[in-house]
Amino acid sequence: MAADFALRKLMPPDLITFDLQATDKAAAIKELAQKIKDAKQINDLDTYLNAVFKREEEYTTGIGNGVAIPHGKTAAVLKSSLAFGRSNKGITYNSMDNKPVYLMFLIAVPENSSNEHLQILSQIARKLMHEENRQAILKAQSPEELYQVFES
Amino acid sequence: MKIVAITSCSTGIAHTYMAAENLETTAKKLGVEIKVETQGSIGVENALTSAEIAAADGVIIAASTSVNKDRFSGKKLLDVDVTEAVDHPKELFERVKTAPVYQGNKDSSNDVSIKSTKTHATNNVGSKAKGIYGHLMTGVSYMIPFVVAGGICTALAFAVGGINAHGTLAQAISKLGSTAMGLMWPVLAGYTAFSIADRPGLVPGMVAGMLSSSMNAGFLGALLGGFLAGYTVLAMKKWIKLPSSFSGLMPILIIPLISTLFVGLVMKFIIGTPITALNKGITAWLNSLTGVNSVLLGLILGAMMAIDLAGPIGKAAYFFGVASLTNLSAGQTSPIMAAVMVSGMVPPLALALSSTVLGKNLYSKDEREAGKSAWVLGLSFISEGAIPFAATDPIRVLAAMTVGSAITGGLSMWFKCGIAVPHGGFFVFLIPGAVSHVLLYVIALVVGTVISGFLITFLKKLRFKGKEVNA
Repeated sequence: MAADFALRKLMPPDLITFDLQATDKAAAIKELAQKIKDAKQINDLDTYLNAVFKREEEYTTGIGNGVAIPHGKTAAVLKSSLAFGRSNKGITYNSMDNKPVYLMFLIAVPENSSNEHLQILSQIARKLMHEENRQAILKAQSPEELYQVFES
Repeated sequence: MKIVAITSCSTGIAHTYMAAENLETTAKKLGVEIKVETQGSIGVENALTSAEIAAADGVIIAASTSVNKDRFSGKKLLDVDVTEAVDHPKELFERVKTAPVYQGNKDSSNDVSIKSTKTHATNNVGSKAKGIYGHLMTGVSYMIPFVVAGGICTALAFAVGGINAHGTLAQAISKLGSTAMGLMWPVLAGYTAFSIADRPGLVPGMVAGMLSSSMNAGFLGALLGGFLAGYTVLAMKKWIKLPSSFSGLMPILIIPLISTLFVGLVMKFIIGTPITALNKGITAWLNSLTGVNSVLLGLILGAMMAIDLAGPIGKAAYFFGVASLTNLSAGQTSPIMAAVMVSGMVPPLALALSSTVLGKNLYSKDEREAGKSAWVLGLSFISEGAIPFAATDPIRVLAAMTVGSAITGGLSMWFKCGIAVPHGGFFVFLIPGAVSHVLLYVIALVVGTVISGFLITFLKKLRFKGKEVNA
């Protein structure tokens, strides 16, 4: 139960959107990052975005099958956070399979993150590798339904 | 088929685990037995044991960082980028069947060619990228809990059993304390060497630390031993080439034996002999100081207590103090012992003051935590509480501590303070008759602590002028 509660803290409902507007990679990342910034979990949006894009240069976080997990680890992050956005139009993302992205998880981690948060993020990353979980996320209608995918 | 695998990515947050998950699920589908070790920002999880590696038919390393491959000598090894395991894990199980057998470090040119996607990313976990300071920090971070647990147990023994730790329970706790404290040198040297040379560094490093402890070489001796051990092993790995049929002997027989012999003998004869001579020389010199002005003697003893923090010089001063107790008759107190003890309390207290009050942002998170326990260690006259700080920044820390300790020692003499017992710190202050001029004694302690505390804060500020230290 502790872990369940932790996911809800890491990804509160105001960091979840089922209707991402942006259709290109940079704009979509910015759109979600702004939500984390609005929730006051990042103190400097530009530093954070730089970290994310720099990470993206190494190799794409578009892991295929319509999923992307951009992430940035920097001191500009005040608290480990996870933002989720679903795009109904699809985002051009330069993914590993060159297909558009529909599910985006934006991860923000401070330089010294607690292992608890990293554990949850690692569990989420693992769950995303399974087709049935991806389908469930595509169908989710509320934050609650999204939480349930990861808590099952 | 049995496979062992390691996954690792540069930030260690997502790909490490996605790759691991994919390898595991794919293996299940293919009916392959697999164990995947993840090396992410959480650290190593699900670590492979040597038995599992021995039983494996092949090794898959899916990493965008440099993963140490020492463990896999003699195994079929496929080294690919982490994204390959995320993207097409199935193919890797085919490729590993025909992968070349890993021979040790020499075929590094080969493993670059196997990597298809972008290779080594920025976050290099290999030993070279870390630098000397990084190795030192690794050693210190492993050592700190030993100092804290050991030091506080020692203090607790005084609290339970009085100044001489009377009673079975107090004796047992005291013994626990000294055992944990005794391990600090082997752990410091061992893990410094471990950081440099990986697992094979541990044996010669720990042996060097233990030797340093037994010959009173203090933390400088332990550090020297740790670095010597680490780089010795590193050099051996590079220079000693064995035919592949014997390569299995390297990690379990040849490296531990030869490195321990070499490092141990160097410690004993090249480092140890001068240190023992230094210790003896100083003791003789102190004994010759009879008749010298007592305030000057206090200054000298105080400085000695801080200059190497319970190393050869500090030990000489301490035993000089203890010796002065033997001539006392009942009811008398020794001003020399008093000066020695109170000045030995200054370094941990001053560093606690600096790291938890005056200059928090100048210290790493580990150091601030060590600072909190340094308050307790200092009050208990456990000078070793200052060592985590001194090990990472010796010149500034030792210089600043020496000044305050000397002043405290001098003041203690000037105030004609005296003490009847050789240990106990603040606990004996509270016992009537154990300390003469208690109030002035406390003043001497506070003055030196504040001076050293401000001094080290100032020196660290100069060093970090303009730039912030990341925690």
